[in-house]
Amino acid sequence: MKRDACVATIIMLLFSSAHCNNRSPPGRPVLLGCRSPEKETFTCWWEPGIDGGLPTTHRLYYQRERLEGRYECPDYHSAGRNACFFDRNYTSIWVDYYLTVVASNALGNATSDILKIDVMDIVKPDAPESIRLAAEDREESPSLYVSWEHPQNVDTNSGWVTLEYQLRARQQQRGGETTTNWKEYKAGTQTQFTLYGVHPGAVFVVQVRCRLDHGSWSSWSHASYVKIPNSIWKEKPFWVSVLALSGFLFLAALCIVVMKRKSVIQCLLPPVPSPKIQGVDFQLLKSGRPEDLISALIIHQDFPPVVAWNDHMDNYLIVLDHDAGVQRSNFSSDFQYKDSKAEQNLKFLKTPPGVNQEDGGSKVSAHKSYMDFGTHVHLETDYSGVKDVTSDVFLLNSMDLQSLELLPEDYSKVVDSKMLLFQKQSIQSDHHKKPPPRHSHGVADLINGGYVHAITTPPLGKPSLTY
Amino acid sequence: MPGKLTSVWLLLAGLTSGGGPATVTAALICANGQAGCRVLSLAKLFDRVIQHSARMHSISDDLHSEFEQYFVPSRNHIGRVSRNCHTANLLTPDSKENAERIAREELTEVILKLLVAWRDPLWHFHQIAANFSSDKALEMSDMVRELRKGVEKVAHKMQTLGMISNSVSSPSSREDLPPSERGEWRLMKDHELLYCFRRDSDKIQNYLKILKCRIVPEHGC
Repeated sequence: MKRDACVATIIMLLFSSAHCNNRSPPGRPVLLGCRSPEKETFTCWWEPGIDGGLPTTHRLYYQRERLEGRYECPDYHSAGRNACFFDRNYTSIWVDYYLTVVASNALGNATSDILKIDVMDIVKPDAPESIRLAAEDREESPSLYVSWEHPQNVDTNSGWVTLEYQLRARQQQRGGETTTNWKEYKAGTQTQFTLYGVHPGAVFVVQVRCRLDHGSWSSWSHASYVKIPNSIWKEKPFWVSVLALSGFLFLAALCIVVMKRKSVIQCLLPPVPSPKIQGVDFQLLKSGRPEDLISALIIHQDFPPVVAWNDHMDNYLIVLDHDAGVQRSNFSSDFQYKDSKAEQNLKFLKTPPGVNQEDGGSKVSAHKSYMDFGTHVHLETDYSGVKDVTSDVFLLNSMDLQSLELLPEDYSKVVDSKMLLFQKQSIQSDHHKKPPPRHSHGVADLINGGYVHAITTPPLGKPSLTY
Repeated sequence: MPGKLTSVWLLLAGLTSGGGPATVTAALICANGQAGCRVLSLAKLFDRVIQHSARMHSISDDLHSEFEQYFVPSRNHIGRVSRNCHTANLLTPDSKENAERIAREELTEVILKLLVAWRDPLWHFHQIAANFSSDKALEMSDMVRELRKGVEKVAHKMQTLGMISNSVSSPSSREDLPPSERGEWRLMKDHELLYCFRRDSDKIQNYLKILKCRIVPEHGC
């Protein structure tokens, strides 16, 4: 038991001592490469080999074309660990450098492979700086203005180097990780660029990189984000629909107005009421017998004073037109109506209320009227004049007498040539009992020819009513 | 419409009389003959030659990388310290400070020397590499000749404007290349030739840009 334990400890000690005493020369380091950020200085990096267990130092040696001798790295510290920095005094271009790294410890050295470089070939600048993004709100489509600055250590004023820029941008989806593909753009030697076709409300990511002359591209700059603002034009569909709706409503209203223009006109411009004789049916008189017509006429031949007339709404008066050639002269009792179309000339007077229609003075009044006619109207023997007149004669509501002043002198323009239907009134049978004599002054003729009670039309339209 | 017709007639007249649209535009721009106008044309000349040199370098870069695909240089050449560039004897500024420090005339002369030095080697190369990218080689050879004429014009213009002294002269000496040989060694030499020309064309472009920014800095650097 004791022997076994002793053997085991001895073996363990041997192992541990062998492990502890495992010293060897260092492994060969590897030169990774060199880089010049501005074509004026450069840096080289290496990777140490296997550690030999002892403190190891690494040294970089170089030889240069057109330069005799072997030199050591001038600066081991500025570029960090395992790197060598060559400043302006030690950097020459268009000449070959032959670099080696030697790792050495107490037991030995290890030399890396030779790396041949020409500064012309190892140029790779730093990324552009100070990238600024500005969204421009243009009329139809917003655009994104990108501007940046050259890397700080690059001299752009002497012509020694020419910087060329490249831009890439993509739209970032909200929330989710999915994004669109990068789109690359060449910006030439400018330090600005404008991206078109950016969608309002989207978030954009932009990166810029550069290269010197025909060297390697730098790494992409830090990503810059920008949100394109929602411009007023985003709400355009809303306003367009509002406008369209209001336009449609306006058109609909217009169509309705056009279709119902008659009623609209009636509403806005009330038509002048046409005159009519209350209680007399024109159609009946047209088609009826002359006796009936006469009786109807005679019954309603009461011509009350003007005063009473003013009270009634439905009184109508017949007006003769001066231009028709009717002359004022003594009324001739000879009424002869010659035109067969005298029916159109029939005008009827409604009896004003309060007037006794039973008044037997209808005759008298008729005569009166004749007399009145005589004072005011002279009807031609041939009724051609009357006919003409009737086209110009129109019936007036007694209430409109005052408005006669407003009527123009030439009534022909004012008159509605259409005949108007009259209010049919029951003709009392007793009226028929007293038919007016046919002979009486040619009333019968008058009936056919147009019994007219004329109101003289003064030139200025002022009526003078006489009965 | 009449305005368009008159402009067309003017253009035709200018073309027939001026002998080229470039001169017409120059004449139209510089009708007054002011000093600033001549400086503008110098800046435009500079831009043209710089563009030319950029194209030339781009072609040489393509040719060099094509060559590297076909011919991998043996390990023997990695350890070599210096290249067999025949222009290695020329003292050329190898940093920005040096390029800005030397005199304008010297810089112009360096550019011209480089261009002169490569005229014959490129012509030889074009003759030799008949089956390999001969169009690119021919273009390169033509370009170096055209570029030399352009830079000579720029130098002349600078001299007339008094920006540089009259000491700049077009170099007449030429570098003679060893006669071409067949075999892999020849290819190597061509590979070296392309490598050297690629480097020298980059030098020419950079020197021209530096010179422009020193002569006419207000026209974009």
